[in-house]
Amino acid sequence: MARWMPSRRAALAGLCGAVASAVWPRPARAFGDGARFVPAVLQHKGRWDARLSGLRRLAWELGRRTSVEMVPDARPLALNSPKLFEYPFVYLGGDGGLPALSEDEVENLRRYLTFGGFLLADANDGSEGTGFDADFRREMQRLLPQSPLTPVPSEHVIFKSFYLLESVPGRLLRKPQIESCNLGKRAAVVYTQNDLAGAWSRDESGDYELEVTPGGESQREIAIRLGINLCMYSLCLDYKDDAVHLPLIMQKRR
Amino acid sequence: MTSSTYNAWKLVSLSPLPPWALVGLGVALALGVALAVVGLRKEALRARRAVLWTLRILAGVAALFFLLEPGVRNMQVATVKNRLAILVDRSASMAFPADGDGHTRSQVVARYLESVAPELAALSERFSLEIDGFDPALAPLSTQALNAEPPRGGRTDLLSALRAVKAQEQSGAQKRLSGILLFSDGADNAELQQGVAGRARAALSDLEVPISTFVVGRDALKDLAVETVKVDDFAFVRNMITVEVEVRGRGFSGQTIPVVLRREGQVVASKSVQLNSSDEMVPVSFQLTPDQTGRFVYTVAVPVFPEEAVAENNSRSFVLKVIRDRVRVLLVVGRPTWDERFLRGLLRQDPNVDLISFYILRTMSDDVNTVNPDRELSLIPFPMDEIFDKKLRTFDVVIFQNFGYTDPALTITQYEDNLERYINDGGAFLMIGGDRSFGEGRVSFNTLGRAMPLEPTGLPASVEPFKPRLTPEGARHPVTAVQSGGVSASESSWASMPELPGANLTRARPGATVLLDHPVLQVDGKPAPVLAVWEYGRGRAAALTVDSSWYWAFTSHRSGSPTRHYDRFWGNALRWLVRDPDLTTLKVTADPPALEPGKPVGVVVVARMPDYQPAAEAEVKVDLVSVGTQKVIATQVALTGPDGMARVEFPPPEPGPYRVVGTAKKGERELGEGEDAVAVRAVGPELSDASVHSDLMERIASVTGGKSYRLPMSGLPDVPLLDPPVVEVGRSKDQPLWDRWYYLVALVALLGTEWFLRRRFGYV
Repeated sequence: MARWMPSRRAALAGLCGAVASAVWPRPARAFGDGARFVPAVLQHKGRWDARLSGLRRLAWELGRRTSVEMVPDARPLALNSPKLFEYPFVYLGGDGGLPALSEDEVENLRRYLTFGGFLLADANDGSEGTGFDADFRREMQRLLPQSPLTPVPSEHVIFKSFYLLESVPGRLLRKPQIESCNLGKRAAVVYTQNDLAGAWSRDESGDYELEVTPGGESQREIAIRLGINLCMYSLCLDYKDDAVHLPLIMQKRR
Repeated sequence: MTSSTYNAWKLVSLSPLPPWALVGLGVALALGVALAVVGLRKEALRARRAVLWTLRILAGVAALFFLLEPGVRNMQVATVKNRLAILVDRSASMAFPADGDGHTRSQVVARYLESVAPELAALSERFSLEIDGFDPALAPLSTQALNAEPPRGGRTDLLSALRAVKAQEQSGAQKRLSGILLFSDGADNAELQQGVAGRARAALSDLEVPISTFVVGRDALKDLAVETVKVDDFAFVRNMITVEVEVRGRGFSGQTIPVVLRREGQVVASKSVQLNSSDEMVPVSFQLTPDQTGRFVYTVAVPVFPEEAVAENNSRSFVLKVIRDRVRVLLVVGRPTWDERFLRGLLRQDPNVDLISFYILRTMSDDVNTVNPDRELSLIPFPMDEIFDKKLRTFDVVIFQNFGYTDPALTITQYEDNLERYINDGGAFLMIGGDRSFGEGRVSFNTLGRAMPLEPTGLPASVEPFKPRLTPEGARHPVTAVQSGGVSASESSWASMPELPGANLTRARPGATVLLDHPVLQVDGKPAPVLAVWEYGRGRAAALTVDSSWYWAFTSHRSGSPTRHYDRFWGNALRWLVRDPDLTTLKVTADPPALEPGKPVGVVVVARMPDYQPAAEAEVKVDLVSVGTQKVIATQVALTGPDGMARVEFPPPEPGPYRVVGTAKKGERELGEGEDAVAVRAVGPELSDASVHSDLMERIASVTGGKSYRLPMSGLPDVPLLDPPVVEVGRSKDQPLWDRWYYLVALVALLGTEWFLRRRFGYV
């Protein structure tokens, strides 16, 4: 597989994005990035940056659709970086293989997840048993051996943290479900094989970068909503499972 | 010294040889006899054999006599009498009537002891007689005192008294105990209360002395008693607890008795019990649900009938400490942030917190991109009327986390008065920053703002990373005590926290206590406050000017050394806000909370300054207030010591429920008020039981080898006693017996005769 290199146009778009984020209108001021939602992207030795524009788009959609303050940026971070602990939401994607993580990377990420961090893992290659999928499952065995990946049940709060959802598509619809590693009652890792961020990606001209199959644009909208819900879950945990919400949500679902 | 000096003698050996030598020689003599027997075994004539055997044996005996050197030891002996202890119960129940003539149980014992005085005098020739009373401490007693002084002991502890008598023997100061005569009604309320079994039985057996028991009193008394009340020491507010009561009725067969439970005079429950036999214990249980926190005196009572033996045991009081079950927290969040996420995670996992939360997930300006928002979104309307009006006072703490909107759908302007009154009336409020709380995006909380310890300045927020600094007040305050080990431990813990990304600039209102401040930035010439607390009316409020306390929970783990500072900080803050009794500045504690009649009421007051320093030399005033009359019946004042503590004591008040209300001030500064409850019981356990436990007395006698009797009776029975009396040696003189000439002649004659006959018979 050819190694992805940013084109001059992509680099220009990234620069524009950075400028845009610096002048982004902020009706209220929080202190730096600490109070805002910033999607961080984990760097690894494989192709980790295939969906940076998708993450920027997700942040933008989050700011547009909800009250969350965000930075429309995707912050790359090394897996063993202490800076990781300033970004409670991280994205780990890969188009192709995920080379084995070093011991200090595993240790750092394990501590990150244990003390409250949230990891969204996304097989950008839509792989099943090969490529990113096989490698990611192998690394999860090392990372959280006591918390295996299990399917997220349909009644999980992820499906009602903002939008009411019933399916979990991405750019693809290979798997009808997402999986999670749970620490206690908290889903610390959520994994999708449907290239979720692929459905959010836009090119430098503002158009969606990749075609969404098989559902087209309506599937893309659901993928965006799933992204919003995952961000909301990482921010609010099981808020929508509070007793005060349940009767109304049940009524809406009928 | 004349021979009349000696009054006894015995045979002794005066040989100077050591015992082993005597044994050796004795064995040699025995061998000599044996050789003679063996040598004569072929002798055909039996008579000849018998004569020679006899002569050899007699010679052996004579030789042994010379070896042992027997003598007579004349001795002067004295007989030491063993002890016979008479134990008389001097507990208050011995004042109950024992016969139809109005004599008390104690007086019946006195009359009996007087009537058997001649027999006791006869016994005193063989035994050393002692009469002791126990109440429960052992003390010598005379029959005159027994008649004249009413028994007053607050407890009956038979086993303890028996042990005390036995211990005198074991200490060596006294002679051996031959027996104990125990006079009591058997109404033990200590170790033997549950009967003679298990350890109690073993303890009685270990005394190794026969105890003869004399039961006094009659069972035919009429009496109603609240015998026992079983309830936990504390209960959770709004949670049901059970009070288990046992009512004992003697002589009330066929009657229905009302049982009433009161809380400080107010009836909270009542039931009726049916007594079907002349002596019956009936259990009654009450379920109650305390609706207030604090300490309260409860009383269980049955009516007093005119013919009852004891009126005071018809009620029994206890103190119940009612604590909150879970702190009910209302968390209102202006928008989802990491600060909210980590605080929610903490509060949700705390079993002591009941969290009700509302987040603003969407404002009217947000575009959710839906066709049918009602069906596509999980959002619910913000129920402002419900939470800020109807249900507001059901919350222990209200937290605004970066909350404040001008949007008509989200503004709380119309509820500000409610919130301010809620705090003023004893509620707790916490404002966590954020731009919407204190920064540029804030709304003006004109009324609610008055209850805040900090006020916005309008200055732009600082976005420079900084590490909050613990103020001197913060170093002593429980909210910022994130590490046990005192001020230095707290200071080093705060110094080890990660930097925060920025702070709003506010100023402290007069009277606020700033616990954390900015190390660099100043407002009005003072360091900008970061965390401040204060008391507003009867309530409490706190304000944190940053929205990044989650750094203490998450970012602090980046170095790999986890701490619990974040958890402790917010745990402390909640406890302080809800006035956890352990964190109040004036703590008043009745010590103990329930008293037997006649005991003084002790009260311990611990005073602290608002910054939680011990308030030394503070003036403490404590009122003892009768719950029944709501009148102050006594007041005590004291000065606190260097540790801020003072103890006062009130003379024993009448039985009933009381409150102790304490105030303290240092100079002109009031240090607050605190109160506690104390119950003074009408009767102790001694007077609550008027029955006679003859079965217990019989068991004591049977286990120890004594006999049981019942008073009144005539004459002193033949009680089992250990004997004989021991004999001790005074002077002695030895008189030898062996050194007489005829003993030697006898030995020579025996040996000579044997030799002569052996020659004659052909053996030599």
